[in-house]
Amino acid sequence: MFRLRVAVLVASAGLLPLGTQARVAQDPVAAPSPRNASYTLEATLDPTARTIAGSGRLTWRNTSARPAIDLQFHLYWNAWRDANSSWMREQALGRNPRLAERPADDRGGIDLSRLALAGGGDLLARARFIAPDDGNADDRTVLSVPLDRPVAPGETIEIEMAWTSRVPRTFARTGRIGDYYFIAQWFPKIGVLEDAGWNCHQFHAATEFFADFGVYDVSLTVPAGWVVGATGVLASPPAQATSSATTTHRFRADDVHDFAWTSSPDFLERTERFEEPGLGAVEMRLLLQPEHADQADRHFSATRAALKYYGSWFGAYPYRQITVVDPVTIFNAEAQGQGTGGMEYPMLFTAGTRWVAPWMGSQPESVTVHEAGHQFWYGLVATNEFEHAWMDEGLNTYSTARVIAEAFPNRFVAVERYFGGLAAWSYEDVRWSRDVDGFRLNAFRPVATSDLQSTPTWRYWPGTASAISYNKTALWLGTLERLLGWPTMQAILARHFERGLFRHPTPDEFFAIAGEVSGRDLTWFFDAVHRSSAAFDYGVAQVTTAPATAGSFTHTVVVRRHGDGIFPTPVRVTFDDGTRREETWDGRERWHALRFTSTAQVARVEVDPERILLLDLNYTNNSWSARPQAAEAAGKWSLRWFTWLQELMLTYAFFA
Amino acid sequence: MPSSPEVTAAARPRATIVGAFLEGWRRVLRAPALSASVLAATALLALPLAFALQGMLEQHLGTSLEADRAVAGWNAGWAAEFGAQAQGIGRTFSHEILGFGGTMAILSGFIDHEELNPTIAGAVTAYVVVWIFLSGGLIDRLARGRPIRTRAFFGACGEFFVRFLRLGLVIGIAYWVLFSWLHPLLFSDLYNALTQDMTEERLAVALRAALYAVFLAALALVSLVADFAKVRAVVEDRRSMLSALGASVRFIRRRCIRVAGLYLLNVAALFVILRLWLQLAPAADTPNWLALLLAQVYLLFRVWAKLAFMASEAVFFQGELAHAGYTAGPRPQWPDSAAVEAIENLSRSS
Repeated sequence: MFRLRVAVLVASAGLLPLGTQARVAQDPVAAPSPRNASYTLEATLDPTARTIAGSGRLTWRNTSARPAIDLQFHLYWNAWRDANSSWMREQALGRNPRLAERPADDRGGIDLSRLALAGGGDLLARARFIAPDDGNADDRTVLSVPLDRPVAPGETIEIEMAWTSRVPRTFARTGRIGDYYFIAQWFPKIGVLEDAGWNCHQFHAATEFFADFGVYDVSLTVPAGWVVGATGVLASPPAQATSSATTTHRFRADDVHDFAWTSSPDFLERTERFEEPGLGAVEMRLLLQPEHADQADRHFSATRAALKYYGSWFGAYPYRQITVVDPVTIFNAEAQGQGTGGMEYPMLFTAGTRWVAPWMGSQPESVTVHEAGHQFWYGLVATNEFEHAWMDEGLNTYSTARVIAEAFPNRFVAVERYFGGLAAWSYEDVRWSRDVDGFRLNAFRPVATSDLQSTPTWRYWPGTASAISYNKTALWLGTLERLLGWPTMQAILARHFERGLFRHPTPDEFFAIAGEVSGRDLTWFFDAVHRSSAAFDYGVAQVTTAPATAGSFTHTVVVRRHGDGIFPTPVRVTFDDGTRREETWDGRERWHALRFTSTAQVARVEVDPERILLLDLNYTNNSWSARPQAAEAAGKWSLRWFTWLQELMLTYAFFA
Repeated sequence: MPSSPEVTAAARPRATIVGAFLEGWRRVLRAPALSASVLAATALLALPLAFALQGMLEQHLGTSLEADRAVAGWNAGWAAEFGAQAQGIGRTFSHEILGFGGTMAILSGFIDHEELNPTIAGAVTAYVVVWIFLSGGLIDRLARGRPIRTRAFFGACGEFFVRFLRLGLVIGIAYWVLFSWLHPLLFSDLYNALTQDMTEERLAVALRAALYAVFLAALALVSLVADFAKVRAVVEDRRSMLSALGASVRFIRRRCIRVAGLYLLNVAALFVILRLWLQLAPAADTPNWLALLLAQVYLLFRVWAKLAFMASEAVFFQGELAHAGYTAGPRPQWPDSAAVEAIENLSRSS
């Protein structure tokens, strides 16, 4: 009876009985997550004033081993209050300097009007902004609140809060465009207290978020007739106010670490059900822009693919609903603001598509799979995005590419957009590839050495942080997969998921699991790819032949390490009689000579012939051919370019 | 179109735009050497750069097996590696040169006023100068509507080169104003103001299309004025380019609807050519000889279309003014101009 009651309670809060069923059944008292930061919030959106008035209560339990002498809160929206925040300053460093020039009307901010211990004294008067990362006195994204009495380990307190936020024109996937509102990081959000102290970073341009799990019970009041999507599930039917001008929507989400919501009068609502043997059923709720109504199936199929493959490879999605938000398309970022698409929140994510979205183009499928995948790498395995963004973004980029290759084989090609981005053209000759497009080698190549990946992410150079977090990780995970094989790789990720579920696993935990599951000491690997910013580039330097005994030749093949990165590399030599010799070079010295005696001539030499090392920045120099076709290839493509140039000249001279 | 010296100006019917359009195309198609020469000029200017690129590509591929894959079709991995280390024109080598996508990229870059690679910009400038040089001879030949000797053709080129350079200066200023003032006004200021709270992309598409129409109309107007100024300069042997411009403006103003109609007919012909190219543009794995042949045929059509603008405008102008009958007149003795020939024809017919 008690078991049944707990199961119903869990299910009603959005958690599926499947996936976490075993846990819940074995220990009905324990929730899947620590639930140490729970919020009951009320918020009213005023589209006319572009404000949100919020209030509520935080129930916080100290799960660290140390007493808390203060509390620290994120006030993320203050990053957009003026140009002096660390977020704005970092945007100016190689990202988007023009954001600081936004007019005052486009900016946002959050002002606390109440912060108090429940039934106790005011805390706001003594609160002060701190800048633990960079000491920026003008940054107001972290609020430190001294306590009269420390909160002991295991002790729970309740904090009452009230605030008003000014909704900006979209910054960092948050804000408004016309009547479309996407509201994230919108309430005073407590940091994570660890044994070492508060992990409560300022808002940075290149990093995302980190928070503890809890239960969210949120009532959102919006104009009547507006559709609302949010983390969690609808806890009660929407209630219309007496004046009929507003409607309140109450959502509840258990065992999540964030709560985002969206509202617009224009959303079209579609629902479908995900069902897959061995995985729990999930209601997929899709909020679509009307002009994308014909793309509903594409969103559903991509979400379904993510739930299926991530679920079967790593672990089941445990909630009973997922909300997919199709955001307003940003076709003119200079005017409209930054996009809200391609972002993940627990039980809700934003996809992103265009009015003209060619079937052969990877949007919206790619972004949808990626953000749905974040439900696993971020939502459930809640790593610290401030410090180790590679753990969610990198793992997820790798996983996304694998799902795309499985679920949509040979479908996607390169699509370029023209005429102000409003027209699309599919280049059918340029097929999507997992290694190049999925892992984004081309974006990584020019910035390969820009940062040491093991540096806390918020300290990365803002302009290249994404490439190091997303792309480098995907490339080295792809490399690891080729070293160990997919079954082992899958087992590593599945165990990481299992152990990290509803927790905050660290990089060392992941590395330990990789070693444990593979049965190998992979320290060298992670030293090379994660704890080093060295570039990898191996190549064939020289092939020479000299007569040896009668009828045979001595062949000398010199291979070279052009980059600083070191990786053991197989070298394959193929002779013109079809025979092959293969040796593995440890790759440590700057060059290495291999000598062979054969009656045949060398036909080709390949360094890393199976392309295991996906981080090799220049693969063209990895091979040598006795009958090179460079002249033919160069002739062919320069001729194509020649006619392109002729056309360009004719076009530009048309008005002459 | 009148083609007999016996037809007097008074008896001649007013030029129709369809007639001028068809006669323009007829004259262009009957001057194959002209089209071939223009295409050859295009090739001659593009070839040195293509050879330079060929060297870069060959050097990058070296003895690599990636070349085998590049011969077979588009090798995206290698192309990206090449692009990452390329300098100068090498940076323009990407999949956006392929097939009709390349055409889209060029047209989009032009209308969106995207910055050209400096070397390519240099080549385009040189090509524009060549066009200016050739324009006198081209218009003279097309206005006469029958073969002239090479010496006469280049004589006309030389005759009008400096005049057209002066004209080009004025027209260039007009284009500069369009691209540096009107373009940002339309596509930055106005477009931004109208789209900042727009939540539907399809509305933005309609808006941008309308703005393109406005901008293209402005470009077309300047182009029309320039075209008729050139036609009047050649046919009437005008020395003053300012007076030719004034005459062109007056000519267009007095028959603006028909002039616009003729221009649109020519634009429609251009669209038909683009539509055919959309169907026939070669894929990456199309045999090299076939890809080259298809591309050159397409470019030849583009040259014809450009020449047809000139020819039909000349025909239209001749049909509108009193001395159009010269086109079937006796062969001129160089250095007689097309205008002298026309006057002779007129005096003979009257």
